[in-house]
Amino acid sequence: MVWKKSDDPPVHNPEPTPANPPRPVAAAAPAPSPAPSSSAPETPRRTDRSANATIGPSIFIKGDLSGEEDLLIEGRVEGKVDLKQNNVTVGKNGRVKADIFSRVVTVEGEVDGNVFAREQAILRQSGAIRGNITAPRVILEDGSRFKGSIDMEPPKENAGGSSYSRQQDRQQDRDRSSEQREQNRPEAVGAKASAG
Amino acid sequence: MSWFSSRGSGPRKEQGRVQTVVEPDVHRSLALAALFEEIRKRKMTVLDLGSTVGSNVEFLSQFGCKLYIEDLYAALSSRVTGGEDDLAGPEFFAEFLNVPEDTRFDVILAWDLFNYLQRKELANFAEQLRRYSRPGTLVLSLISYHKTIPAQPYRFKIKDEQHLVYERRTPTDRPSPRFAPAEVTSLLKGFRVDRSFLLQHGIQEYLLVRE
Repeated sequence: MVWKKSDDPPVHNPEPTPANPPRPVAAAAPAPSPAPSSSAPETPRRTDRSANATIGPSIFIKGDLSGEEDLLIEGRVEGKVDLKQNNVTVGKNGRVKADIFSRVVTVEGEVDGNVFAREQAILRQSGAIRGNITAPRVILEDGSRFKGSIDMEPPKENAGGSSYSRQQDRQQDRDRSSEQREQNRPEAVGAKASAG
Repeated sequence: MSWFSSRGSGPRKEQGRVQTVVEPDVHRSLALAALFEEIRKRKMTVLDLGSTVGSNVEFLSQFGCKLYIEDLYAALSSRVTGGEDDLAGPEFFAEFLNVPEDTRFDVILAWDLFNYLQRKELANFAEQLRRYSRPGTLVLSLISYHKTIPAQPYRFKIKDEQHLVYERRTPTDRPSPRFAPAEVTSLLKGFRVDRSFLLQHGIQEYLLVRE
């Protein structure tokens, strides 16, 4: 779709005039415009796709948020953010008072609530979390503010749907201490080593 | 949201004049080595009383710990005090260490923070630590025998299982309480010294164990 524009500029001969000169002209005219229209259409598309849904700085949402695309929060959210298959970023202006369920959670603003990330939770230097983080891999940048606990137990495979959150909650606050005694397996260790 | 004090990372009694100073020192830590012997045995619940250090989180992640980070010094700094003698009482520490009631820590990383507590405060804090520990809980503490200590606690980074990076956060100093070994155990009731190591740079490392 994006590339339609690049097709427009070749001003000359819309009609088939095969024999005519356009070679030098054609080479000269389209050159400045997006060049390889045949080989590159993927790049802009990818950009389009990665565009997040954004909650702007002036927006305040109270309630549950769910969906199937990546989300950037720059406004205020209270309730629950449930995007288990996607990525959630709390931008520098973002203020979230909610539990967040996501694939990758990146926090640059403030979160007051629990974070459950299937793959990774990242707390940037400018970010703050008050709550518990459950993720197989956690990155806290120096200077970030964090108050709570971090559990790097990988999420259970069968923990899909809404039971995921409750299961994690229970694990975190109640059952963990008793589970620890049973889990004397150093095997979990290697799997959780996060890259530096 | 005001739950993080902007003064949290500032030095107690002298906020606002903070800057990163000098190159960090790396020291061998015998207590840390002993601690990791225990940590690697099973999944542990760890309480880190220092500031958030990303590399420590990453390092501990390989052991599958459940990690609590509660920045004691930041909490002390942001405390509204009534005067010089207004010490942090049991209520303060109860509010500070506000974790689920059934939480029991296996390891407590106190770093050099005990040096920043008055004797009475340390006794009060020990009471709270006892509440959330179980017999066998280990406490890592670094007590200074210098006359002065940095005005703010060091930021400790675990380099490996035997080495700690001491990152000084302020150029200014303050008097050190220089807790004697007998004092440490008398103030930290319910804990006994399991191992201690006097290091060349004037720090005595303690590995205390909950009785």
